[in-house]
Amino acid sequence: MSALPEYIEEPVTAKALIQLEEVSKTYDAGENAVQALRGVEVAIQEGEFVAIIGPSGSGKSTLMHILGCLDSPTSGKYWLDGQDVAELTARQLARIRNQKIGFVFQTFNLLPRATVLKNVELPLLYAGLSRGERRERAMSALERVGLGNRAKHRPNELSGGQRQRVAIARALVNNPSLILADEPTGNLDQKTGSEIIDIFQGLSGAETIVLVTHDPMIAARTQRRIKIVDGRIVDGELE
Amino acid sequence: MILLESILDGIRDIKDHFGRTMLQLVGIILGAGSIVATFSLSVAGKAASMEYYRVSGGIQKIWIWDKPTGKVTLDARALASKGLTYKDAVAIKRDTREIDLVSPVAQESMTIRYREIEKPHDVMGIVPAYSPMNDVHAAKGRFITDGDVQTAAKVVVFGSERAAEFFSTDNPIGKTVTINGTGYQVVGVMQEKYFSFDHKRNVLRWMNRQVYIPITTYFTRKGQTLETGKVNFMNARMVDIKNHEAAVDEIRKVLHRQHGVKDYEVMSRVANLKRNEANNKMYDMTFMICGIISLIVGGIVVMNIQLASFNERVREVGTRKAVGASPAQIFGQFLAESVIVSVFGGFLGLFVGKLFTDGISALTRDVAMITPDTIVKALIFAAGTGLIFGMYPAIRASRLSPIEALRTE
Repeated sequence: MSALPEYIEEPVTAKALIQLEEVSKTYDAGENAVQALRGVEVAIQEGEFVAIIGPSGSGKSTLMHILGCLDSPTSGKYWLDGQDVAELTARQLARIRNQKIGFVFQTFNLLPRATVLKNVELPLLYAGLSRGERRERAMSALERVGLGNRAKHRPNELSGGQRQRVAIARALVNNPSLILADEPTGNLDQKTGSEIIDIFQGLSGAETIVLVTHDPMIAARTQRRIKIVDGRIVDGELE
Repeated sequence: MILLESILDGIRDIKDHFGRTMLQLVGIILGAGSIVATFSLSVAGKAASMEYYRVSGGIQKIWIWDKPTGKVTLDARALASKGLTYKDAVAIKRDTREIDLVSPVAQESMTIRYREIEKPHDVMGIVPAYSPMNDVHAAKGRFITDGDVQTAAKVVVFGSERAAEFFSTDNPIGKTVTINGTGYQVVGVMQEKYFSFDHKRNVLRWMNRQVYIPITTYFTRKGQTLETGKVNFMNARMVDIKNHEAAVDEIRKVLHRQHGVKDYEVMSRVANLKRNEANNKMYDMTFMICGIISLIVGGIVVMNIQLASFNERVREVGTRKAVGASPAQIFGQFLAESVIVSVFGGFLGLFVGKLFTDGISALTRDVAMITPDTIVKALIFAAGTGLIFGMYPAIRASRLSPIEALRTE
């Protein structure tokens, strides 16, 4: 019989998928430092579909960059999937972005010279997957967004809505913990934009989606809205 | 995996921006071309001159003339000098240790007639040593023998071209020709000698146009003896090329003892070859430096274009970083691109090098030979250029902040 330890350490509290604790970000813009985020506290559970809303200059882009591991906070902690990523090096952040995050941008950001399939394969390329595996997973991601028949096309042969669906497939392909969409409907007409939000709604539950938008109509279609003003969260309750 | 993708990207880049790539590559193409030309000409030049020496008697051959070349003013004694004689040849053979063969040659234009053909041609009075000395051998009949020399026989041996000139398709052996009015029996026709640096001109053609008679016969015709006989030049053969300076010195000593003045010139092929090698090195260096300068200029252009293309592709770099490319992966991708582009340039440079080489060899009648070794060298130089000059753009791309990159419109 092995002796039981005399006391058990306080168990680690089950954290949310995303947990920001006291996160601040200060930019040194010459003489006057800009405080983009001031002690932000956010928790997002797995499977949630959340909108971050706020006027321009509110700090929502900065928050998005930190959530996406494109930038590190000046102070505070950021737990992503149980790992503190606030103090990782550029290389480690690249790895986190590769494994745990999928991005969808306003301007799609597809590589113009690569085929749709190659674009979707890109995260897997950097993950070091074999050609066959890349192809297989990219094809299944494309099928999830209904573009399985467009694999050999170039981005400029597709409509805006189709391009954004390719970008969503790219974001899904590495089975990320978090999909981050930055104004994903900003460059699309209302109808197409709405279709894109349909896709996100369809994915929610299975995927955790954080959507940054200034459009209240879009934000209204998510489960929860986090409003940020002047670097602080002013309204983060569940609806 | 990523390397392969980068290589494919690089190739696609060449395809997509063909004109720009060509412009970018001019320096590298010319540089690699110069390197190819340098090595091709140099390697082939060396091989060809060695081969020329081999087929015309080897580098052990020494030339001895009866006049000093250069700008030395002859003094009265030298002017009064009797020049090179048959006795000098005997003395050289007897009194040297580094020389195993001496071939004196007396030469003059004489009128040769066979039936209705009558022409003035050079006739050489020689000894049998002429044959091994110059690596010339009879194709039909025989060459001049010791017996011919001892008896001052009226026999003659024709070079292949002369034989054809006088006898056409007839067999010349046993026929009688008259030289300056005296009858000679044809006893041999020489093998044709051929060597060309440019596959056009036979530089050994003069050997095919010779007419040989025994040196004693030649002297007799001119009223001279072995004691008084004058020769135009001599060849000597050294025993060991390692002692080439000693061999030349021995000849000079004997001749100085015989003549008392320096009315002769001695030149060894070994010394000549060494001097040529020094010259060739200078020539090679010059071309090589041109090549390297072209490569450096080419490298700078590659760097510039890579920087420009990097500015064009900031968003692409940002996207790649956002989806998880590490700084090292971006660095590798950019570096691979400049290396691929440069190697492509090097490859085109091979063709330009071939043109250079052909052009130069046509102008200078030099031989050229593009060896696999040369091709590998040119490609390595080109790849090295891409590697060195691709470094800075690659570092810049790898250090780019993804946020900045994605913000750029």
